[in-house]
Amino acid sequence: MAKASSKIRNFSIIAHIDHGKSTLADRLIEYTGTLSTRELKEQVLDSMDLERERGITIKLQAVRLLYQAKDGETYELNLIDTPGHVDFSYEVSRSLAACEGALLVVDAVQGIEAQTLANVYLALENDLEIIPVINKIDLPSADPERIKREIEEVIGLDASNAILASAKLGQGVEEILEAIVQRIPPPKGDDEKPLKALIFDSKFDSYKGAIPYIRVFDGKVSKGTNIKMMSSGKVFEVAEVGIFTPAMNIVEALHAGEVGYIAASIKNVSDTRVGDTITDADCPASEALPGYRKAVSMVFCGLYPVETSDYDKLRDALEKLQLNDASLMYEKETSAALGFGFRCGFLGLLHMEIVQERLEREFGLNIITTAPSVVYKVNTVNNEQLLIDNPALMPEEGQIASIEEPVVKATIFVPSEFVGAIMELNREKRGTFLTMDYITTSRVSLTYELPLSEIIYDYFDQLKSRTKGYASLDYELIGYKEAKLVKLDILINGEVVDALSFIVHKDRAYARGRKLVEKLRGLIPRQMFEVPIQAAIGSRVIARESIRALRKDVLAKCYGGDITRKRKLLEKQKEGKKRLKQVGSVEIPQEAFMAVLKMDD
Amino acid sequence: MPSLYVHVPFCRRKCNYCAFFSIPYAKAEVSSYLRGIKREIGLRLQEAEGGISSLFLGGGTPTVLSREELECLLDSLELFAFQAGAEKTVEANPGTLDSGKLDLLLSYGFNRISLGIQSFDNDLLKKIGRIHSAQDVYHSIKLIRQAGFENINLDLMFGLPGQTISAWQETLQRAVDQEPEHLSLYALTIEEGTPLARLAAEGEEGIVPDDDLQADMYELATDYLQKQGYLHYEISNFARPSFECRHNLSYWRSEEYMGLGPGAVSCLNGVRYKNWENIFKYSNITQKGSKPVDPLETEILTPKQLISEYIMLGLRTAEGIDPELFARKFGRQIQDIYGQLLLKYINKKIIYLEKGRIKLNPSYYFVANSIIRDFILE
Repeated sequence: MAKASSKIRNFSIIAHIDHGKSTLADRLIEYTGTLSTRELKEQVLDSMDLERERGITIKLQAVRLLYQAKDGETYELNLIDTPGHVDFSYEVSRSLAACEGALLVVDAVQGIEAQTLANVYLALENDLEIIPVINKIDLPSADPERIKREIEEVIGLDASNAILASAKLGQGVEEILEAIVQRIPPPKGDDEKPLKALIFDSKFDSYKGAIPYIRVFDGKVSKGTNIKMMSSGKVFEVAEVGIFTPAMNIVEALHAGEVGYIAASIKNVSDTRVGDTITDADCPASEALPGYRKAVSMVFCGLYPVETSDYDKLRDALEKLQLNDASLMYEKETSAALGFGFRCGFLGLLHMEIVQERLEREFGLNIITTAPSVVYKVNTVNNEQLLIDNPALMPEEGQIASIEEPVVKATIFVPSEFVGAIMELNREKRGTFLTMDYITTSRVSLTYELPLSEIIYDYFDQLKSRTKGYASLDYELIGYKEAKLVKLDILINGEVVDALSFIVHKDRAYARGRKLVEKLRGLIPRQMFEVPIQAAIGSRVIARESIRALRKDVLAKCYGGDITRKRKLLEKQKEGKKRLKQVGSVEIPQEAFMAVLKMDD
Repeated sequence: MPSLYVHVPFCRRKCNYCAFFSIPYAKAEVSSYLRGIKREIGLRLQEAEGGISSLFLGGGTPTVLSREELECLLDSLELFAFQAGAEKTVEANPGTLDSGKLDLLLSYGFNRISLGIQSFDNDLLKKIGRIHSAQDVYHSIKLIRQAGFENINLDLMFGLPGQTISAWQETLQRAVDQEPEHLSLYALTIEEGTPLARLAAEGEEGIVPDDDLQADMYELATDYLQKQGYLHYEISNFARPSFECRHNLSYWRSEEYMGLGPGAVSCLNGVRYKNWENIFKYSNITQKGSKPVDPLETEILTPKQLISEYIMLGLRTAEGIDPELFARKFGRQIQDIYGQLLLKYINKKIIYLEKGRIKLNPSYYFVANSIIRDFILE
């Protein structure tokens, strides 16, 4: 039976990593009996292996909870999970658009973090009702009063009715559920109006095709409805509608205000564009819902199959991943060194690593990732402006009048004792100090202007390690600035390996070039001949190393009893060689292409 | 006509680098071994109906057996029909030989002795767990020559823990001074499960040989031995003209072989199988009248595997591969299978053709795997 929309609440949870969002979600699921404790695997919502391993949420998920409130009524609560990492603010905005309210979970010891703040602002932009929850009050050093003051001073939100909770101990869970019912407004939709449903995510199922995850704003949808995608006008007949419990569960219909999925034998990935509005083909809505701001790719890199013949497999895999991850961009690219591949755009470096890992794990591909790059604006001597996201495409030095690089405004929250460390890090990363404000007497908010390329390089890791993990970061792109940048080429055995070229600030070029050739020397196995490795700017070599020729690779003894074992050994080694990429006459392992990234180890 | 290998899995003690199947010498085990061999021969005689081309009595240390035990073993082997003038080798360790055993071996037609000396450096010998000293080596060689053997091989190892290039040079010179007809030089390889591997795993320095040092030692040895008139006829083997080991050549020519004794491997009719590596299992199974083959170690070789091995072994030798022989054996031209690859290596002068045969350039012997690997078919 469909609930009247007054009995529906759609909400998400905003929290910093480690502030206990997933545990709280588990408790809500458990408390409402959506899953029994036995069925409840640790952290139900983080369903990808990768998410569990890394302890983060990447993909947003949805689950329907049925809660009998103190007023005796049963409410349908739809929880739409949000990722917490700075890379994924785009996904956050998607989940928020499908909700009327959000729980703001703040750690009772650590307080508000930069990313939380950014997400709260996103929620406020969406007119969401925000319920502050102070979590981990069971910790000995918990200081809820201080956190309340922080919430009021930093966000400007009334924290007098903040809920004190311990998701770990299950404390405050009922109070939270009551607050969701009482404080978050029910969805406003109307069942009788023409169907309007927002696609906030989608998934690919090999049997059911592309499955959009939707929030119905008006009207209803059920099996047999002819739905129309408002952006493309394409029409599909609905085969199945359902909800998330959190597994997909078939229901008769989805009504205004509800959250669920549609299966309609949609074969083409591109037909379930996230942000699109679904309507009823026989009774269409006159205008679409406002979509999302488009995901902006911040980081670009080339993805190539180690084995050239895997190109089609890689293309199919990217297509499928894109269905699950609308923020992934890709287009065909060729590299002189690596052959056919794709230039891909990501939200950030973590996003890039995750895509790479998913391609390897879920699709069994061996891939090479080239050095990540941002998009540079290159002004040529002919007064043209080129957008360059691939260092290999950088014009020759003589053609360049100036180069502009993207800059971000970075906000860092940190205990005041680490201010010195932050300042030093930002100086190293070519940052310009903007502001410093005290959040409380012991916590500081710093803002800097930084080149995006420095942020994607190991900024986040450095930030964490230099502040013992206490600092949090948020950043937004604010524009372009001219900088003294050069393209650094790497030559292996005298040939430029385009996939290893990168753009670097002139003052850093020598140090980075030096470091990279040293690193490559360690990563490239000895070959049958001596292999020189050089770093060069234009025709000027700035660093050189060489890999001495391989001198021993032999089976000393090979008699009757040895033959099988030795043949198998060679078979295995030959298999292992497939992970090497032949560039010219040199065999280069995958890791070498990632070396550019990890030079500060 | 297969060659015959007989494994004698007894040693006075196991050397620190050794991963072969061997157990400490003990009367009871030896006698059950000797009974087992006798039964195995009975069960497998018909596999060598056409006779045996060569015999290699290896181990272990065959000469650790007493004179009587040795005689019993040799007697059993007399059941095979050996080709006239067949090469018959026995492996021996200095310190396990006396003129009685030598005379016995001669009387059973043995005409070649392979002596495991490894080094002339007593400190090194101790370090790798050998039971003998350099003095024992001189004494043994004297006994062997006095007995009348005209074909002696000396086994040497290089890249031993702490061995310097000059120490290696000295060992080589002393070996050559003994005027052996044949020399085998093995680069020390740290095998899993050996005491040396354990030491290396515990972090003891200088156990794992340095690749460059071993390569230098190899180069030094090949230059020196060739100047001394030895032919470098296989990666690790050197011989005076016409003293190449015929038994071992038969492996590198991918000819058939039959292995007797626990742990011994046979390869007949495209099937490779291995006997149980356990004296009692070996003895019990033969007693029940079954061949003592470990079913998990039996391999029916596919044509691709046969071809891969043919190349893997053939390229180890100076005589190389005869394309006509290849075509006759596999019914396909070698260039139809490996055309591009051969061409690539011929252009790089890594492989070359000589009198119609395909050979690996000896300068690349010590990196042979890097080349051979490409010829392994999947």
